[in-house]
Amino acid sequence: MTGVNLKNSLIALTLGFGLASCGNSEPEDTMNVVDTTAQDEVLTEDMFESPDVDYHLPSPLQVASIFKKSGLAYHSNITNSTANASKYTEELKQMLNFGVYSADMAYCVLNEQANEGRKYLGVITTLAEQIGMEAVFENQDLMERFDKNIEDKDSIEILMIDIHERTESYMEENDMQHQSSIHFAGAWTEGMYLGVYDYEKNKEKEGLGSQITEQMAILSNIIKGLKDPKNSGTDLGWLITDLEKIQTTFDGFASVQAYVADENATELELTEADFKTLGDLIKTLRSKIINA
Amino acid sequence: MKRLLIISASFCFVVLFAQTASNLTEFKENIETQKVEAKDALKPYRYDGSKVTYFNFKTYKQTKEVEVYLFNNTDYRFSFNGKSLPNDITVQIYDEDQTITSRILLKEFSGVMGKNVVVETTELQKAYDTKKPNGGRLKRVFVSYAIPGVPGAENKTPTMKERGAMVLVMGYKM
Repeated sequence: MTGVNLKNSLIALTLGFGLASCGNSEPEDTMNVVDTTAQDEVLTEDMFESPDVDYHLPSPLQVASIFKKSGLAYHSNITNSTANASKYTEELKQMLNFGVYSADMAYCVLNEQANEGRKYLGVITTLAEQIGMEAVFENQDLMERFDKNIEDKDSIEILMIDIHERTESYMEENDMQHQSSIHFAGAWTEGMYLGVYDYEKNKEKEGLGSQITEQMAILSNIIKGLKDPKNSGTDLGWLITDLEKIQTTFDGFASVQAYVADENATELELTEADFKTLGDLIKTLRSKIINA
Repeated sequence: MKRLLIISASFCFVVLFAQTASNLTEFKENIETQKVEAKDALKPYRYDGSKVTYFNFKTYKQTKEVEVYLFNNTDYRFSFNGKSLPNDITVQIYDEDQTITSRILLKEFSGVMGKNVVVETTELQKAYDTKKPNGGRLKRVFVSYAIPGVPGAENKTPTMKERGAMVLVMGYKM
């Protein structure tokens, strides 16, 4: 809850008080502050008790950066086309593709494709407006900064960090953190898709294969985040089912089971067949997400 | 007379509520300032995100835990800001979550109240290598906040003096 919400609560209570005081006097036994206590407890519980067990998910820029360090090559035309953005009319698709485009923007920027990155900033801004996060991009200063620094990769990366930080703060201030797992599900799927696509082109890239495997560690927390009761108003059933299928398939690989069973094993290595199965599941999910 | 009583009681409540709202807003604003301070301490590492853990000191001990992923070929820096702590807590960093009884304590420190403390994963990895030779690379760590019990704390309806937050900002080496 934010200062704005607190003010709203205060206004509502003040109005409530005003209305009550205009009416007839209440019997004495109802002259208590039950509502007050309830309000105070709600404020306390909602704002000042983080879960006992929590997690931090990496930013799309970090994920893209790690993939790049692992040997991920740039391929044009494999990212989600910006032309698709206008087709996303459902809020869930808008949120998911906000994440997809964030990953695509990071992929382009890190591969020095600034003009492509600029297009993604444009669609991210539009989607942000549609999902109630227009304040993150208000003042239009981000696009101006992008244009001013289009030749300077470092500055563009810093700008991306600013966007991530603004988004993070905005969601926290407005009690929208539960939705971040939806954005992240989109970004994660796109990052994995880009990794799988490149890996299939060149299976000699061991580092990339390891990175795809390593990114699987995040999945259980993404699923946990999607299952947050605050997300119950959003039809996430199909998404959770697909992500759980990816998780259970991965957990069922003999290579994964052997790794888990061996206390001395330090790195997990998937077989070619495992990569193929995993890659197919990722591609299927990605298609569902990006198709309107 | 009754109406006067209602008005007086309600007025008192509104004033109290406004004060509480103002205190909470100030608390949140302070956290934003502390995030900036913690972020500055990350340099030259690149900012990746933050996790603010809110809690209320109670009469009994509590634990809050945050899982953080560490990816291959990457060094991380964690910046802990304890300037929103009314009492000190102990920060413990483990290789596994709290359900694993044999988990390894990689680092422990207290005295974070009113301070900003920076920890790098290189030192956590060294501790891990020492305590578990052939354990390989740390792929994630669990930051555990041991929150001590405070005698006389209001467990059900905490006041501002019981409210605390630990700001954790993470960065990675480019």
